Amino acid sequence: MDRVKRQLLRQAVADNLDTIRGLPPRSLRPARRFAHLFLRRAPLVIIPLMLASFAFLSSTGVPSTRKPAAIARPPAARHVEASMSPMLMTDTLEPVSASAFPLSVRRVVLDAGHGGSDPGASSISNVSEKEITLDIEKRLGALLRQNGFEVITTRDNDRLIPLRERARLANGSHSDIFVSIHVNSIPHPDNHGVETYYLGPTNDPTLTKLAATENLTSGYALADLRKLLDGVYADVRRDESQRLASAVQLQLFSGLRGVDPGLENWGVKRAPFIVLVATEMPAILAEVGCLSNEREAEMLRSGTYRQQIAQALFHGIHAYASANDAPQKKGT
Amino acid sequence: MANDSEILPEILHVGIDLGTSRSAISASNGERFVVDSFVGWPADMVAKKVLKRDVLIGHEAVANRTMLDLHRPLERGLLKEGSDKDVEAVRELLKHLLRLVGVSSNGRTDASNVRAVVGVPAASLRTNKQYLRNSMKGIVDSLMIVSEPFAVAYGLNALLHTMIIDIGAGTTDFCVMKGRYPGEEDQRTLTVAGDSLDAQLLKLIEERYPQANVTVFMVREWKEKHSFVGEAPKRVLVTAPVKGVPTELDITNEMRAACETLVPPTVETMLDLLSRVEPEFQERVRNNIILSGGGGLIRNLSETLENALKQVGGGKVTHMADPVFVGSDGGLALALDAPDSDWEKLTA
Repeated sequence: MDRVKRQLLRQAVADNLDTIRGLPPRSLRPARRFAHLFLRRAPLVIIPLMLASFAFLSSTGVPSTRKPAAIARPPAARHVEASMSPMLMTDTLEPVSASAFPLSVRRVVLDAGHGGSDPGASSISNVSEKEITLDIEKRLGALLRQNGFEVITTRDNDRLIPLRERARLANGSHSDIFVSIHVNSIPHPDNHGVETYYLGPTNDPTLTKLAATENLTSGYALADLRKLLDGVYADVRRDESQRLASAVQLQLFSGLRGVDPGLENWGVKRAPFIVLVATEMPAILAEVGCLSNEREAEMLRSGTYRQQIAQALFHGIHAYASANDAPQKKGT
Repeated sequence: MANDSEILPEILHVGIDLGTSRSAISASNGERFVVDSFVGWPADMVAKKVLKRDVLIGHEAVANRTMLDLHRPLERGLLKEGSDKDVEAVRELLKHLLRLVGVSSNGRTDASNVRAVVGVPAASLRTNKQYLRNSMKGIVDSLMIVSEPFAVAYGLNALLHTMIIDIGAGTTDFCVMKGRYPGEEDQRTLTVAGDSLDAQLLKLIEERYPQANVTVFMVREWKEKHSFVGEAPKRVLVTAPVKGVPTELDITNEMRAACETLVPPTVETMLDLLSRVEPEFQERVRNNIILSGGGGLIRNLSETLENALKQVGGGKVTHMADPVFVGSDGGLALALDAPDSDWEKLTA
């Protein structure tokens, strides 16, 4: 036990010394080290995989110009490869698990839903979605920055930013994940809950309707949308988005149910929201509350409750980032 | 060479549990104190004249709250950033605790000879560690900040294959001890805790007895005396003014309902954390679950959690009979065990 105690003491002291030196949380740092290591060593993994895929695709007669897309790309470089069709991966090769290329979550895009002339959902007492999402975005941004993340926001005031522009901004920032914050409104005012979406097809007409509402200001023509959807539904980042959505949903529900025992867990869902379609990093859309429920609308007016939502979102993002770091520690 | 008549400064080691509801201090000189984590400043000149003090702390602050600008600095387990008053409240609280164990500028032990380990709610360490440290700057010579469940585990020597569930006022902290300093993946924090239970109980009582005049402070006191889950050990009868007349109220059902709001999230989180323990160690952790904090004293809670554990093979949940000083004693043990060379690096 003495040995264990000594070790624990050393780690506690080291943790405090890190704080004194202003270093970011330990859980984030190994990831950065690994990211550098990964970038240095990535060719060793990618080149043999590419060669293997070339050989495989040649034997199946698929035109060679499209072959590189068959390789699960390292997320660190995903922004430069957006034009490649990821469909090939599932059609022609065994998919490579995204966990083979662990992400280092460093930069986060926060997207406060709606804004300006687009208020989003509203409660009977006239609380609008655009105000709540912006406030939560600011609170979440502060929490993330305090913990060593870089934060990019799609809007920091009350103005309308087309969805397409939000996606462009996110893609241009070379960020690691994208988190869009929204508040729900449903036809059943007695119910309220939280849910988190990632990109995927859905057969649920309610979700299609919800996506259509949220996509109103997308600026995309239907043909563009179809092309985008075909390209990304099988993207490797979808698995990452699903994991991010699961981590955020778990924290949202467990974090908020404590203060709101009536809160329902509506789970992780797939839907074709445009901000999820057009962004090139793991992306989720969190519906953090329900304005159609008057009691919750009242709670959402409170800064304390919005801070709790921001904290729950932060814990979800942090858990996802930490989980991504976990396998890397073995390699370092 | 030291002069024989020269008195060497005495190093005092202290462990402090900076809680959302109560704060405790244990010192190496044998002194131990607990105070309510409330700090209040006279709201105006009249209050200042009546109270004859610049700042009131603990029970005094609660008793005179109507005249005070009252602060509970770690409410909901977090130090609110940008709130100078809350930072000042933390500093006043720490200074007060140190004074209680004999630290003074004109005594044998002044603050420059104090080495302190401060345990704080795990959530505040996760989100504003740097801010917390800066807020405590200059109060003692050397300072180490650790999460409260870790201090508890250290004090109880429960460092391996153990789960600590620390039910405080602002947060319920879970921590699985695996023989290493707990990381993010070993800990969870819920905001369902003593305060949310108080709010729920107050709401239920107000719904049942709309004429009764009840405050959250009264509710807190009743909860501390009568809390339970499951079968009521006896009827919970309390006295509160109804239209100005002291009246006996039966709040048995309300007490049960409020206390049981803790159960589902606690069970869910406990099982989730257990499922993340390496399979070969899960049974040992299941049989070493320790309930600490004031919430650990809720009657039948440990049995209820044991019942929930049956679905995963059963387990043992132990609650601390006297949880008041568990955290501060753990902090003191840490302070005494840390070598001088480490303390020299941890200058506050």
